[in-house]
Amino acid sequence: MKRLALTACLAAAVAVAADDPKQKEDLAAVIALQGKPCGEVVSYTVQGANDFVATCKDGNKYRVHVKDGRVVVEKQ
Amino acid sequence: MTAPATAPAPEPKAAPEPKTKAVPKPAPAPEPAKPAPAKPAPPKVAASAPALDLRTLEQRLKDTSAIGVLTKLSLKNQVDDLVGKFKTYHAGARPPTLAELRPSFDLLLMKVLSLLQDKDAALAREINASRDAIWGVLTDKQKLAEFS
Repeated sequence: MKRLALTACLAAAVAVAADDPKQKEDLAAVIALQGKPCGEVVSYTVQGANDFVATCKDGNKYRVHVKDGRVVVEKQ
Repeated sequence: MTAPATAPAPEPKAAPEPKTKAVPKPAPAPEPAKPAPAKPAPPKVAASAPALDLRTLEQRLKDTSAIGVLTKLSLKNQVDDLVGKFKTYHAGARPPTLAELRPSFDLLLMKVLSLLQDKDAALAREINASRDAIWGVLTDKQKLAEFS
């Protein structure tokens, strides 16, 4: 039972919903810089360090993360 | 056939006199003969831009709070990619030609300006004013090597 609770806690920690307006703007700007449609980021979850999944107003969802010093935007 | 009657021609009106008399300009004094100086080289476009310290500008871009960390990193990636293309050009490879590189440069600068213009208008203005100087660095192999 304890193990199950621990697993649940870890899973929750992996993807944390967050609501920092500056971070939303940052994500929206990065997605726009890569020429991908979004408009506005309405919500996002933190997957890890410099790893986010952003949900756009138009319904698009992108994983934004840093790999080898480069910002990568992948459609989900 | 009879000759058509001709109406007497109206007397030409005298041109109205100007209210203020034009003051005749004094003839320019002839310059003393001197040896013709060497013709100066035509100024480059970059020279018309204000004095600019690209390093300072780069630092200000890093320090500005107008754009987020991920955006800065993404911009840096794109700047590095463009600089890489210029290095390819300077290495003699074609493509890219300068004509092909100019739109990429303009687009990237537009992205930077649109990100800055609302929250750091002063920096946006300075970058815009430095457009020709930045282009001058990118298109000059030696300057680019010094800068990067």
